Amino acid sequence: MINPRIDRDTRVIVQGITGRAGRMHARMMREYGTLIVGGVSPQAGVADVDGVPVFAACRDAVAATGATASVLLVGAGQLRGAIEDAVAAGIKLIVTPTEGMPVHDALAARRLTHEANVTWIGASTPGMAIPGVAKLGFLPEASLTPGALGLMSKSGTLSYEAGYRLAQHGVGTSVWVGVGGDTVKGTRFAELVPFYAADAQTKALLVIGEIGGNEEEEFAAALTAQHFAKPVFALIAGRSSPEGVTMGHAGALVHGGHGGYAAKKAVLEAAGVAVFVSLDAMTLGIGRTLGPR
Amino acid sequence: MFLLEHDAKELLAANGVAVPAGTLIHDTEFDAAALPPGPWMIKAQIAAGGRGRAGLIRPATTGSELKSHLRAILGATHKGMTVRACRIESQVTGLEEAYLSFMLNPVAAGVRLTLAARGGVNIESLATTPGAIRGATVAPQLPALVAQAMILTAGLAPHLAQALHAAARELAGIFLTTELSLLEVNPLFVRPDGSWVAGDAKIVTDDNALFRQPWLVALLERRAAAYPEARRKQQHGCDYVVVDPNGEIGLLTTGAGLSMMLIDELRAAGLKPYNFLDVRTGGLRGDATRLVDVLGWIAAGSRVRVLLVNIFAGITDLGEFAQLLTEAFARTPQFKMPIVARLVGTRLEAAREFLATRNITVVTDLGAALVHVRRHLANT
Repeated sequence: MINPRIDRDTRVIVQGITGRAGRMHARMMREYGTLIVGGVSPQAGVADVDGVPVFAACRDAVAATGATASVLLVGAGQLRGAIEDAVAAGIKLIVTPTEGMPVHDALAARRLTHEANVTWIGASTPGMAIPGVAKLGFLPEASLTPGALGLMSKSGTLSYEAGYRLAQHGVGTSVWVGVGGDTVKGTRFAELVPFYAADAQTKALLVIGEIGGNEEEEFAAALTAQHFAKPVFALIAGRSSPEGVTMGHAGALVHGGHGGYAAKKAVLEAAGVAVFVSLDAMTLGIGRTLGPR
Repeated sequence: MFLLEHDAKELLAANGVAVPAGTLIHDTEFDAAALPPGPWMIKAQIAAGGRGRAGLIRPATTGSELKSHLRAILGATHKGMTVRACRIESQVTGLEEAYLSFMLNPVAAGVRLTLAARGGVNIESLATTPGAIRGATVAPQLPALVAQAMILTAGLAPHLAQALHAAARELAGIFLTTELSLLEVNPLFVRPDGSWVAGDAKIVTDDNALFRQPWLVALLERRAAAYPEARRKQQHGCDYVVVDPNGEIGLLTTGAGLSMMLIDELRAAGLKPYNFLDVRTGGLRGDATRLVDVLGWIAAGSRVRVLLVNIFAGITDLGEFAQLLTEAFARTPQFKMPIVARLVGTRLEAAREFLATRNITVVTDLGAALVHVRRHLANT
């Protein structure tokens, strides 16, 4: 089962730590509470970044630090190779915020991580977090408040906005997973249903989807098949988007009647999910269920 | 991106696949010598399904018939898209019509191969006939796909099995090497001798793989006007789509999901957004050029009367962003419309100070921003 739960003792490395994004986010993750034990960079002669030891190869970093999780901040063209390195080194949880991963590379990486029983979150994800504990990726503090709502999202920014508004209404998050907006990805909404069902801290679940693909439909089917007993809410972006055009995310493409909003809303509602038409309606609706009394 | 049929067929032909002879026509005044042999099919080139049922694919046998159909189709709109060009191609008649497609299976992490001995426009209705449509997902590798095609064509009439197996081998190679997300050939015309012709082609390419797909890069350069979004993304590193040419509100936004949701909410509130934009504030790197470009595109909207800036900055320094935005406005003197900025994130006060120099009000609540937007629309 996919298990994204991390804590303050989860040992994390950053692949690509000497890059601009790697350096910045390694620091921000540490400041949030994440235990960053090392970094990987092919750049010769860098012993450490802000005191974090840097290794030439992922294998060396894992051997020296005992890391089990890795955040990959490398270019889209290098991502597949970096994931292969992480899997070969024995990493069990991989988070890849990089945008623009070629879809055939993602297909290969998904096959590899599944066969190796490794949890891969991404690509094109802002990352994941246990608010108040630790985060892997970019999620902004303003949106992260500890609480009982499980949150999964394709979009980064829309989830920031949702988390921020919910926090203002006294609703915090238990486990936040950005699955990313790509067509082929490491972890899909439906694959997290067993985890959220079993997670004691999660009392309800919010899924932030968007047009394109069939992940929302698959998620609805998983809720029904697995008799998911907690309240489930959804927000789906893109109901007024034109057909045949990719709306920013590679996965957000409606064509030939596939991936449209109405079908997603209908199957989610049939599975007992409350689908909100706006951020305001979402905040009010979830606030009524989980907010302070 | 979703390739227009003409370009999809060009891609197939460039890889040695037989397609009906055809040419792209943009105007009713065209060079008749460029036409392939008649009788013809006139096919509207838009990125939407249901062209046939919408009357956007028509046969013609005489030159005058061809012209009158072209006049009817060019400029017609379907699902919000205007037909700017037609592919005129030689009709293929009297051949059997099969079906073959390759698509990504994101769950099984493989490629789904689907084929049917009887394809054509009614392929969907075959779904209820057991065995009529055959498919399976296999590893994304040529040998696996070819082997699967052999299994799926077993039991078909020999000429159909031969054609579908040969087509599967050729098209699987194209699917993998061109890194496609979808490749569908329907109808796939089959001759009695087992040879075949791609009667139609639906192709979705992977924009993220462009850096190693020179044929597609060349296509984008050649046909930039047909793929403005993909071209823009390639050149400018941001996503921009005009969602309503008559829109009144220009949007300067970051994040695909939040930008889509904002458009949904504006429409639901009876307002008319002009564009979708994921400007990617994280990618500006201290350079205002991308913002200058975006302001220029938005200013080109003939009915845009107000600009709404909506940035929820996770990581981005709002002070730095506001400074770049102020610089961009200074470099875009033709941009005179009122501006409403809704900003949330770090260094908001610095952003307020920068934007105050251009009399731009900054709010943190989206509802409040919309009140300002409505006021500006009422006043202009």
